[in-house]
Amino acid sequence: MTGKLRGMLVAVVVAGLAATVPAGAQTPAAKQELVVAIGADTYRLDRVRGDVALSRVGGPAKSIFETLVRLGRNYQLEPGLATSWEFVGRNTWRLTLRRGVRFHNGQPFTAAAVKWTFDRIAQAGGGTAVIGEGSAKIVDDFTVDITPTAPNVRLIEQIVHPTYGIVAPNTFPGPATEAANRPTGTGPFRLVEYVRGNRLVVEGNPDYWGAKPRLQRMTFRFMPDANTRVLGLRSREVDFAVAVPREIANELEKTPGIRVVRSPVGQYEAVYIAIHGKEPYVLGREKAVRQALSLAIDKAAVVRNVWQNNAIVSQTMIPASMLGEHTRIVKGTPYDPAAARRVLEEAGWRPGPDGIREKGGRRLSLVMVVGFPNAEIHRPFPELAQGMLRQVGIEVRILITPDVSSYETQLGKGEGDLWVEAGNQNDANPCFLPDLLFYSKPGARQENEYGLLFGPGPVFDRLIEVCRTTADPERLREVAAQAMALLIDQEAIVLPIAGTFNVLGLSERVQGFLPHPSGLNQGWEAVWISN
Amino acid sequence: MRRYIARRILNLVPVLLGISLLAFSLSALAPGDPALRILRLQSDAPPTRAAVAKLRVELGLDAPFPLRYLRWLQDAARGDLGESYRTGEPVLRALALRFPATAQVAVVSTLLALVISLPLGVFSAVRRNAPVDHASRIWALVGASMPSFWLAYVLILMFSVGLRLLPVAGHGTLAHLVLPSVTLALGGAATLTRLTRSSLLETLGEDFVRTARAKGLGSFSVIARHALQPGLIPVVTALGIRLGHLLAGAAIVETVFAWPGIGKFVVDSIYDRDYPVIQGFVLFTGIVFVLVNLLVDLAYVWIDPRIRIEAGRG
Repeated sequence: MTGKLRGMLVAVVVAGLAATVPAGAQTPAAKQELVVAIGADTYRLDRVRGDVALSRVGGPAKSIFETLVRLGRNYQLEPGLATSWEFVGRNTWRLTLRRGVRFHNGQPFTAAAVKWTFDRIAQAGGGTAVIGEGSAKIVDDFTVDITPTAPNVRLIEQIVHPTYGIVAPNTFPGPATEAANRPTGTGPFRLVEYVRGNRLVVEGNPDYWGAKPRLQRMTFRFMPDANTRVLGLRSREVDFAVAVPREIANELEKTPGIRVVRSPVGQYEAVYIAIHGKEPYVLGREKAVRQALSLAIDKAAVVRNVWQNNAIVSQTMIPASMLGEHTRIVKGTPYDPAAARRVLEEAGWRPGPDGIREKGGRRLSLVMVVGFPNAEIHRPFPELAQGMLRQVGIEVRILITPDVSSYETQLGKGEGDLWVEAGNQNDANPCFLPDLLFYSKPGARQENEYGLLFGPGPVFDRLIEVCRTTADPERLREVAAQAMALLIDQEAIVLPIAGTFNVLGLSERVQGFLPHPSGLNQGWEAVWISN
Repeated sequence: MRRYIARRILNLVPVLLGISLLAFSLSALAPGDPALRILRLQSDAPPTRAAVAKLRVELGLDAPFPLRYLRWLQDAARGDLGESYRTGEPVLRALALRFPATAQVAVVSTLLALVISLPLGVFSAVRRNAPVDHASRIWALVGASMPSFWLAYVLILMFSVGLRLLPVAGHGTLAHLVLPSVTLALGGAATLTRLTRSSLLETLGEDFVRTARAKGLGSFSVIARHALQPGLIPVVTALGIRLGHLLAGAAIVETVFAWPGIGKFVVDSIYDRDYPVIQGFVLFTGIVFVLVNLLVDLAYVWIDPRIRIEAGRG
């Protein structure tokens, strides 16, 4: 859908929100049942968890399966199915498991379940925690050792991700309609029904080891279109809508009977500058150009005008809360167009006849590629940035890729100077994103297109290697902050634009909901319906 | 007649060969790598080049284009359209699973469009330049210009948010079928109304209609028995094309109404470069169009006696 069409449909929905007469307050049923509108059913045959799409934002994964360690709302680690953990050296973590826990099918939870799940994860590729067959070793019924196949002390921070949720042994992936294949975890809710493309229903697990869920039943309805989710909320067909479009959020907030809640920052919008591009995409190699770019974008204006204040200006790419007091190490760049001009002047870039700067007969013209995870969510940031950069004499040509595959191809070919991306943080490892995207040591296990195009080099790589090998959480945060400072302040390879919120709409009847910055880690056990 | 139908069905073979080759070529030319996409869907991490290369080999994507096409053709001839890269399910099963929902909304909306457009078009032609004709022409213009997603939102606002009569989205009951069908029907009905009107106006000027009137037949008889049938030929053609399109999925309407049809599935498959699904879908769409065209041709035979003779000879 084009931007214009999207604008039209948003106008229609907003007009509808304003025009329709709100229904009178309804007496809620005493039943503790919640209907949640989530995005599309991203069904795929999951080799670990079975024939159900379980990893959508705000989705049911977290309610059915539990991880050994949980991710708190401030990205802190909390006990889950493991009550404690310690690094015992030789790349190995020892976890003590919770006793008295049972799977939804009645099986007791023991170290055997951890081994069975981790072996399945290994068969499915091992994930970012580099799990291999035999990585999980049973010490006794309630103690397990986990040794990744490559040096990775970050294991505990990584296994908070729902993809590491523990599955009941000997349940097999296959059609979830068959009882034997039913996704079976230990979570506060258990699966009742899954209708592909339509709904997934869970019910409260009365035998749950923790605080019992207050809801008796939850229905997750798959609604791919964000405007439909909002209309479903307006019509009372659903009680809850995830990922409310930022253009509608402020208007929706004025609707009687509906609340809009915003999570702490868990996502970001950033521009990466190619420093290893090939002709003609080589201007990002020049540090002065990168510094000017970072000084010339008014991030506060972007937050105000593009995100309608559903975001904050952030000096880092990852949520600042993850870095603790070390956040101050990352200074960020102020909006200072005069300084941007000065930096360019000093570097020999002089304004040409049309105001665009030139040096040695070459125009300061850059290609901005937009398309990850899709082009729509960035709009109209590229156009706004284009205008701001023109003010300092930098020409930007915007290249919108039609889909993420085209974007990835473009990235693989390195055909672009500026790369606009949105991402999110779903685990507790502050080095996750910098490691994933910018570590570039040749032959490294995760050598990918990002490192090849943006990787700052050995100094940065050494910081990441410390991240991977330190068991001290404070040291980890400090090094992560130093890595961010190198990327943002010293080298200006990453221009963090904003830290963005998950915006959710809910009926006023819904109580006890605490939005998690990582949508994948959203819990529902404290939620209840008021009268 | 049987020979005619058999010949038309035989024509399917070169048609399907042609479109499958075209679809295969377009997939190969489109930017994007299915292996990269699959790995990206499976993990938060951008995959390594080595992992992508390994998966390309596993998927057979490293083979030269003609070889890949021949392999696919060989399997397709045996009824095996491969497995979806994304979901892992057999393509034939994936399409068959979603087709009933698509067929439901396509058939209901087409019938609805016919029920609206036929009387309106006839009435408009018979009362040419009367207020009812003007109103019908305005409706046709507005209806044909309305984007389907916009109409969908307006209908949801009216009937779901405002009146609370119908569900906003979903699938499973008759009530769920109403809004998607009406959304698709209104756009189609507008075009068909114009077409019915213009076609009937043309027929009403023909000699045989004048002769019928001269014989003293009543207005209703002249229209119903003489003018309407030949006037329907272009309408049936347009209807066939529309039905074919709808059976191939209506991605936007399916997305808005969370309708689990084939359209959105295929659009997502295109985004993710799920080649087996794309090829399977193209083949499926080709068959649908050929069969619908065949039905349209047979309808001509029923409508127009002159065509019946041609078909009989065929």
